[in-house]
Amino acid sequence: MKLALLTTDVALLGTLILVLLYFWSLRQHKLTSQRWRTVLKTPTGGSAAILLAMYVGVAGLDSLRFTAGGETFTALDKMLWSLRTQVETTYSAPLAAFGYAKETRYEAHGKVARDYPRLVYGGRHLRNPAQDRSRDLILRVARGGLLGVAGFCALLGLFKITRRCPHAPFWMPLAARRWRAQVMVIAALCVLGGVIGALAADYHLLGTDKVGSDVLYLTLKSIRTGLVLGVVSSLIALPLAVTLGISAGYLGGWVDDLVQYLYTTLSSIPGVLLIAAAALSLDLLMQQQASDFASLASRADTKLLALCLVLGLTGWTSLCRLLRAEALKLRTIEFVSAARALGGTQLQILFRHLLPNTFHLVIITTVLSFSDLVLAEAVLTYIDIGVDPSMESWGNMINGARLELAREPVVWWSLMAALCGMFGLVLAANLFADAVRDAFDPRLNNTLLAAPR
Amino acid sequence: MSLLEIQDLVIEVGAGATATSVVAGIALQVEQGCTTVLVGESGSGKSMTALGVVRLLPAAAHITRGAICLNGQDLLQLPEHQMCDVRGARIGFVFQEPQSALNPVMKVGDQIGEVLARHLGLHGKVRRERVAELLAAVGIHDPRQRMTEYPHQFSGGMKQRVMLAIALAGEPELLIADEPTTALDVSTQAQILTLLQREQQQRGMGMLFITHDLAVAYQVADKLAVMKGGILVEAGSRAEIFSAPTQAYTKHLLAVSPRIESAVVPVSRTITTDPPLLEIKGLSVTFPIRRGFFKRVVAQFAAVNALDLSVQAGETVAVVGESGSGKTSLGRSVLRLLEASAGTVSFLGQDFFRLNPAQLRHARRDLQIVFQDPYAAMNPRLTVQQIIEEGMVSLGIGGNARARITRVEQLLNLVGLEPHFRLRFPHEFSGGQRQRISIARALAVEPKLLVCDEPTSALDVSVQAQILDLLRSLQDEMGLAYLFITHNLGVVAQIAHRVVVMHHGSIVESGTTQQVLFTPTHAYTQSLLAAVPRLP
Repeated sequence: MKLALLTTDVALLGTLILVLLYFWSLRQHKLTSQRWRTVLKTPTGGSAAILLAMYVGVAGLDSLRFTAGGETFTALDKMLWSLRTQVETTYSAPLAAFGYAKETRYEAHGKVARDYPRLVYGGRHLRNPAQDRSRDLILRVARGGLLGVAGFCALLGLFKITRRCPHAPFWMPLAARRWRAQVMVIAALCVLGGVIGALAADYHLLGTDKVGSDVLYLTLKSIRTGLVLGVVSSLIALPLAVTLGISAGYLGGWVDDLVQYLYTTLSSIPGVLLIAAAALSLDLLMQQQASDFASLASRADTKLLALCLVLGLTGWTSLCRLLRAEALKLRTIEFVSAARALGGTQLQILFRHLLPNTFHLVIITTVLSFSDLVLAEAVLTYIDIGVDPSMESWGNMINGARLELAREPVVWWSLMAALCGMFGLVLAANLFADAVRDAFDPRLNNTLLAAPR
Repeated sequence: MSLLEIQDLVIEVGAGATATSVVAGIALQVEQGCTTVLVGESGSGKSMTALGVVRLLPAAAHITRGAICLNGQDLLQLPEHQMCDVRGARIGFVFQEPQSALNPVMKVGDQIGEVLARHLGLHGKVRRERVAELLAAVGIHDPRQRMTEYPHQFSGGMKQRVMLAIALAGEPELLIADEPTTALDVSTQAQILTLLQREQQQRGMGMLFITHDLAVAYQVADKLAVMKGGILVEAGSRAEIFSAPTQAYTKHLLAVSPRIESAVVPVSRTITTDPPLLEIKGLSVTFPIRRGFFKRVVAQFAAVNALDLSVQAGETVAVVGESGSGKTSLGRSVLRLLEASAGTVSFLGQDFFRLNPAQLRHARRDLQIVFQDPYAAMNPRLTVQQIIEEGMVSLGIGGNARARITRVEQLLNLVGLEPHFRLRFPHEFSGGQRQRISIARALAVEPKLLVCDEPTSALDVSVQAQILDLLRSLQDEMGLAYLFITHNLGVVAQIAHRVVVMHHGSIVESGTTQQVLFTPTHAYTQSLLAAVPRLP
């Protein structure tokens, strides 16, 4: 088994490691770490962080890519091996034991029967599905739920041991009012995880798609695509927007003219056209250089990276414009004058006085655009200029749903799974960003109430 | 029976256990045709009381107890729709900031007409006539033309006159004026005060006048009430309060209020007769006036016009002028925070305007500035330590981090703050404390001259007195020179050795403090001094 990371894997894992290193380095900065702690302490912020951590964890596991015996798979694939390999022939509804459409079956005596076929894997342990299925499902839900509760209790015990409070009962965090929301979210996730695990072991929890792949598996795999798109595009757009925006506003003159020229030009070209042009010319380039791409996966990966690049390079204008306006306002404020009078250099003023005071704008806009990017992926893929069709993504699932919704009876589960996946990620990101902004704005701090007036 | 009678009024902010009372059981009367002045420093609850009377308190505040009777009718018992008939018709209100109290996208005449239509049911030509009459009554020339103009076409004093016209439009029995002259220049203030008094007497209204300025209170009051921390400290007739105050707080307020008559600044021991520390020659600061689509420069507006000034080491030179006189532009261009268009500024014989950016950075070490607004002067995201050591870091002085911490603690001590404050953020401090931090920041690089741009005008009188004391003692200890920019002649009397009076970008009069304040020669200085409200 050999590590075989693709470019976007490196980008995502690298960002993840950098973020972890940042939090590690915070141990020396009492004030900043205290602020991050307040983020986790607020009920919405803490809950959103937990949810976000789940998403990031899944994406991280899905980025650890290995090759063995000519097959490429990720750590997540290894964990969900049965989901990956238990492929039906075509559509099946969630938790079904039979197919979704009638099939013609030739029986031993030459009789032709037209009936719903038994699924190859879904509910295969049932002797008589029609009778036993509901009982089996209820039992599994109960068993999974109990397992989840047990796991949650184990977590609480572990927490107690690491916190070194031997005399407190292990459910202490449950009773603590401050952390109640967060503990409840963890409990809910544990129970949900147990139930999903128990059901997904022998059923297709979210059904299967046209070629019979498990939709739950596809949804989980799509998380990585969405996150890569959001994170890498933001990483490209952010430095551009920040440096260009505040230097245009603060320095003025020809710098301002140049930056304004750049972003007005860029934002007057329709974004979709620009992305379509880039995607199509990249397609052409890849066809000409077909030998450079060892596998379908690396080809899809290059396409994803190119998409991130295009989205990043076109996506910095709105934040840049906001930051320029804010810097224009801040350059005349007295603490900036004071910094100049105290001999501060332009660079010091830009990054010490202007940047931190535009931080709230950066956070809000970045998270909003992150959500937009995750959603844009769906839209672009829908019109076939997004990610490669071979790559699992919410966009591809939604794209497929176009036909699924048109057939009778309707296949609704792919669309629903993709929407729920996206909804959770975008909601968690938004709530988390709100909490971060509140915690990092000293004027909104709780200490304000205690301040002498 | 009094016109307005406030009994045992309690106003609380917040709810439940965290509620704090901002007005704690005050009683107050306003008689028909008389003025009651409510005096107090910021946070004393005087504005809350006024807003409580018209029931326009901010959302977090609410009246929990008491009665407010207007002509015997308890306003607190009225339902909201009847209260709407009281506001504007029976009680007129003049706010502090005419800039934000007028709707910028509505014609001035329409804003007055609104009241006439709502309360008197006037429409069409009658209403227009009445608007013009009102504008004429508050001293606006050519009212028929001006009523079709927008607020931005009016100056600050004119806007306040419009506000007054709106308040008078409903022919109220009671006029409430909440710091109506605080945002205005002295000469405008004098005009508005005279106008208010005249209108009040002509119409026989009662007036509740709110101010922090005892001298203004002395001018307009029949009766006075002094508030502190939500409590009525002392109330009485004007003569009682000013000649024989009984409470310590009232005495203290009277003692710290700056008086021009008390200009007894001792000649500083540290003033030298050497060549001047700062010498300004022929300084002009101009702003281009741009017009039209292509923003062509059509003219130059001279904020400072060929000005000469010198400051000796250890001396305080006050620059006095009304808003728009160019005094702030002068202060900023001395530090080259604003580029001058002509002239020279030499500091210790070194021409400041010839320095390249790198030299300038180091030269600014000797020349620091303290700003007016203690809230905008500090980056809210930095701690006090980071704020004060900023100059030391960027100029590479003051040694390593440990040495800088010691230095910051020393500086905090020097300006009268606790050393452990260094880990706090600016928003945790009051205005006066912030101004001390600003001073500490400027002192950190050991300047020889401090430009003080209205450093006390955003502060209460007692805090103002403390800051002036601090500046004086720093001068004695370190031989600092101050270029002290202010509009307040009372402050000048307390701190300056020399005074220059600016008008339209030029100096109209200069001399020692005694000369300028007591024997002014220029007509403008005389009119300025005449407009200053005085205490007995």
